[in-house]
Amino acid sequence: MAVGKGANAGSTPTELLVSLGRNQSTKTLLKVIILALIAAAAVASRLFSVIRFESIIHEFDPWFNFRATKYLVANGFYQFWDWFDDRTWHPLGRVTGGTLYPGLMVTSGVIYHLLRFLTVPVDIRNICVLLAPAFSGLTAYAAYLLTNEMTTSSSAGLLAAAFMGITPGYISRSVAGSYDNEAIAIFLLVFTFFLWIKALKLGSVLWGALCALFYGYMVASWGGYAFITCLVPLHAFVLICMGRFSMRLYVAYTTWYALGTLASMQIPFVGFLPVRTSEHMPALGIFGFLQLVAFLEYVRSAVPSRQFQTFLYVGLGGIFGVGLLGLVGLTAGGYIAPWSGRFYSLWDTGYAKIHIPIIASVSEHQPTAWPAFFFDLNMLIWLFPAGVYMCFQKLEDEHVFIIVYALFGSYFAGVMVRLMLTLTPVVCVAAAIAASQLLDTYLQYNSPEVADDKEEESSDGAAKKASKQGALRSTSQPVVGIYNLLSKAFIAGAMTLFLLIFVQHCTWVTSNAYSSPSVVLASRMPDGSQHIIDDYREAYQWLRQNTKEDAKIMSWWDYGYQIGGMADRPTLVDNNTWNNTHIATVGKAMSSREEVAYPIMRQHEVDYVLVVFGGLLGYSGDDINKFLWMVRIAEGIWPDEVKERDFFTPRGEYKVDADASETMKNSLMYKMSYHNYASLFPPGQAQDRVRSARLPDQSPVLNSLEEAYTSENWIIRIYKVKDLDNFGRDHAAAASFERGHKKKKAIKKRGPRVLRVE
Amino acid sequence: MKFTGIAAACLSLLSTACANTSAAGSASSKVVLPSTFKPPQVFNNANLVHIISLEKNYVKESINVLIENASPDPQDEYFLPFTSEQMEKIGGFEVKDRKNSGIVGFTIDAVEFDPSRQLDSDIQFYRIKLPAPLSPKDQQTLGISFYYLHALKPLPASIEQTDKQYLTYAFSAYCHSAYPTLKQKTEIKLPSADVPDYTKIAGNGETKEFPIKQGSKLTYGPFPEVPAGASSPATVRYEFNKPVTHVSQLERDVEVSHWGGNVAFEERYTLFHYGAKLSSQFSRVKWAQSQYFSPQTFALKEMKFVLGAGSKDAYFTDVIGNVSTSRFRVTKREAVLELKPRYPIFGDWKYPFTVGWNADSSNYLKKSGSKFLLKVPFIEGPKQAEGVEYEHVDVRVVLPEGAEAVNFYTTAPETSIIEHSVDIVRTYLDTVGRTVLTIKARNLVDELRDRELIVSYEYSTAAALRKPFVIFTSTMTVFVGMWLLSKLDVSFSTK
Repeated sequence: MAVGKGANAGSTPTELLVSLGRNQSTKTLLKVIILALIAAAAVASRLFSVIRFESIIHEFDPWFNFRATKYLVANGFYQFWDWFDDRTWHPLGRVTGGTLYPGLMVTSGVIYHLLRFLTVPVDIRNICVLLAPAFSGLTAYAAYLLTNEMTTSSSAGLLAAAFMGITPGYISRSVAGSYDNEAIAIFLLVFTFFLWIKALKLGSVLWGALCALFYGYMVASWGGYAFITCLVPLHAFVLICMGRFSMRLYVAYTTWYALGTLASMQIPFVGFLPVRTSEHMPALGIFGFLQLVAFLEYVRSAVPSRQFQTFLYVGLGGIFGVGLLGLVGLTAGGYIAPWSGRFYSLWDTGYAKIHIPIIASVSEHQPTAWPAFFFDLNMLIWLFPAGVYMCFQKLEDEHVFIIVYALFGSYFAGVMVRLMLTLTPVVCVAAAIAASQLLDTYLQYNSPEVADDKEEESSDGAAKKASKQGALRSTSQPVVGIYNLLSKAFIAGAMTLFLLIFVQHCTWVTSNAYSSPSVVLASRMPDGSQHIIDDYREAYQWLRQNTKEDAKIMSWWDYGYQIGGMADRPTLVDNNTWNNTHIATVGKAMSSREEVAYPIMRQHEVDYVLVVFGGLLGYSGDDINKFLWMVRIAEGIWPDEVKERDFFTPRGEYKVDADASETMKNSLMYKMSYHNYASLFPPGQAQDRVRSARLPDQSPVLNSLEEAYTSENWIIRIYKVKDLDNFGRDHAAAASFERGHKKKKAIKKRGPRVLRVE
Repeated sequence: MKFTGIAAACLSLLSTACANTSAAGSASSKVVLPSTFKPPQVFNNANLVHIISLEKNYVKESINVLIENASPDPQDEYFLPFTSEQMEKIGGFEVKDRKNSGIVGFTIDAVEFDPSRQLDSDIQFYRIKLPAPLSPKDQQTLGISFYYLHALKPLPASIEQTDKQYLTYAFSAYCHSAYPTLKQKTEIKLPSADVPDYTKIAGNGETKEFPIKQGSKLTYGPFPEVPAGASSPATVRYEFNKPVTHVSQLERDVEVSHWGGNVAFEERYTLFHYGAKLSSQFSRVKWAQSQYFSPQTFALKEMKFVLGAGSKDAYFTDVIGNVSTSRFRVTKREAVLELKPRYPIFGDWKYPFTVGWNADSSNYLKKSGSKFLLKVPFIEGPKQAEGVEYEHVDVRVVLPEGAEAVNFYTTAPETSIIEHSVDIVRTYLDTVGRTVLTIKARNLVDELRDRELIVSYEYSTAAALRKPFVIFTSTMTVFVGMWLLSKLDVSFSTK
């Protein structure tokens, strides 16, 4: 062991370490310093948006989490737990306290109260903004711990920590301001895995219980906990199949499952799901299976092998059959919920598009494009298979975990963009194992002594196993090391270059792709200075200050959380998307004629309608571009009234100019987007800069709505729903009557011009 | 520097001022009188000129009156009547001697009536106590000035976005007085000559009809003798195509840091435009066009804060974060913070916001031994051509932890200050908490921007060293505690 340590110290990247790293306490100190620096780098690289813009909550979901956190801080935990929110999903409301994962909010709340206790006057917003970067430092540390369980080389752990700290795959969900569940969940994921490995290695109830505790925290924080719920049983199952059942596994798994399930059931949103849904059944099944195996082990030790064979076939087969039948029966009987739609879409990527358009409409639920892997992981993506291969070489229990994790993580990451996040930790760990192996081998300054290496090898259990495959061993596991200084320098130099490029790439990706708050848009002035386009907040602030406190705002669900968070007004639908029909209702109102939409809006007491329009600025994420999803979702509920085909031109094109289909032109969304827009341009030059279409001079006429506010760059347009007409006419009649009066004057003024246009 | 000289003078002044305030309990102590009270008819107004200035979005009135003691005894209490509605809106009440500015020491008190009894008239009074009693037949010229807030009304109350805004103001052609007035006139100064409506009253002498309109000025009078309490209601409606900005609440924090050598200012405004509402909804097209063709509008679209020299790190935020449309220019002599609200503020629209900035404490703080003297402006709101009015102003001066013997003196009108208190606030790892002086004032206007607040306090070196010491010891305790814990063996195995 002592020799191994000495070798490790020599193999750490810097030469400084070689001289200093001989004694234990210096090494510990250096590790602590390096880890602290990695954590600092992880935090620092996530602060682009704060420096460039301000301390602001990003995007959509974080605004809800922020609002919930403010509620928690203001009203205390029990109020939060029982929170019924009547300001969302009007008129249904939402049992918010029971339908969210409270881990994130409670974490920030605890930090807030702790700081307040120390009389540090910190704004809750700043805690929320900086929570994700702070936790990324912890994630790096957790990756260090997890990797250290895999290999004896401590440089692997440090490399894994560094990779974890700056890899864009993780940064994408944890920049400052990205106050989402993933902000803390990835740390919990990695740390729970570390505790699981520790528990498994030691067969310790203490570590198993700790694992269950953090699993409970994870369940409280993110819906992705199902990943742990499935991966740990899978790992156990694979181990049993490999004939590696041991009391360590039994103790670790049963402790984790029993305590972890109890812990997870404390969250109202999870409740009895762990015993009632198919997603959780593997964990329960493996729990039962382990009991069986343990029992069999006992029986085998007690009875002769001949009888044991019979017992095995009859007993095991019978119980397995009964268990399976029971599961099928309970599922058929409705006691256990079958796989949910979101889960199906993991197996069949086309499933959601056909059956649940609302899931497919979210960009992060799309299948991953291949370049995304390189974009998010850069060089780690080619180090990753090498690392997994090295796990095969050692193939102890914990390496099996990495292999299983790598396999499933890769699959899921390929299916859904957002699951790249769950793949990233294992990529970092595996890549760090591979990279450290390379560096350990090539960064030995002294030429290796044969005896030294043999000793090291013999101390390494995994190496023995690998030595059975002689051919492979000679290529991958060097017997003695590298003698030639040139090849050492070359590989070390190349590796350094790759690492530098990696850092550069991560910084570039973080800075360019993941650091935009998306609430605030940045553009450049002609003189190169930054110009901030702040239309969202302008409009939300206007709503907040100048409308009634309980004015209901109808908008597409994307903006629900932002309206709730920034404008503080009740909304019809939001990003929670728990009620598909309600969303479809809004979709129907947006995609129908005014005469159809108006009664819907009246029934839902809508006061204002908010649309996002990017035509003036060329902002492509606007509602007209999302419009087809609204149509599809509405069509899912009202196939007779809303038809996607009608929104295309006869030639099958999606157009907004003069050639647009009649249904399109008469839809509320089209009218609201282009109302009055042409008057901004000289005649004949009205242009939509997103869809680069020339628009007709005559803006669409709105009868039942009136323009209430339009932001500076027209990104947000707010319309007020007119009250019923005083004379009982419909709005079209009333409006045309009013226009009738004005028309004469208008014609008198510029008669010839109107004629020419017509 | 000039400030040093003032500092010495102020120190001596402070002791007297503070003695005054502490004796009176509160600066705005009200005199409670029985409801049957009538001011004794001991004065005559020999000559009175009443100037109503409507050039800004609040009303400034000044009454220059030559008073004469008509009683056989020396008198020192002059009463000025107001309606209870006016009493709510009045602010910045000040009295000077017009002839001799050396005469100071007018004490002004709002007279309150015993609330237990029903009042038969709506009249209330301000009592002006002359510095020296006026002997019989003697005369003195008083210059009385005050402001009315929120006294203007738009007419029509709602207009189109591109229309001009007109305001009305109701007043009396005769100046309200508790004494007979021998000769008087009322002048109304308006922002422009566009005055479509005003009350006309019958004239006397060679003038047939009042008022006489000269450009943007209306003059009622001169009138012959008028008995006490006479009134002649009149209104004027005039163009005021500028925002009518009303700050219902201004919270101003001044935080002094000795360690950082910094004075941090933060002001939170609850701003409201009480001018004409929009008769139809806001149109962005029209707004964009009017920005090019006729930029003059009654919507508030920009504010300019002129801050003291050396101000830095200015910020402008509202509930949902930083407002990116602000500019901060620093020159040697001043720093200007130009703000554009997120949206133009029309009548009936609200816009609460926060601004803040830092400044070097050497610009505001003077030291002599362990005594410190802080001199800051009482209010520093936006400098707008059309003016800004403040209904409630809370000035909070946060002094360092352990500051003692806090006294203050302000040149802001004494009648506007409602109350003041010294409390403790804990922030930034404080142990005993910081001393906070809170001054509440009401009905101020932006013309009073040059008024100062001077705070003196004592702050010892020991108090300054308290925090580093506390932090050092507590961190040490944590480390030692951790070290002791790590020495503890908590495992079950005995070995």
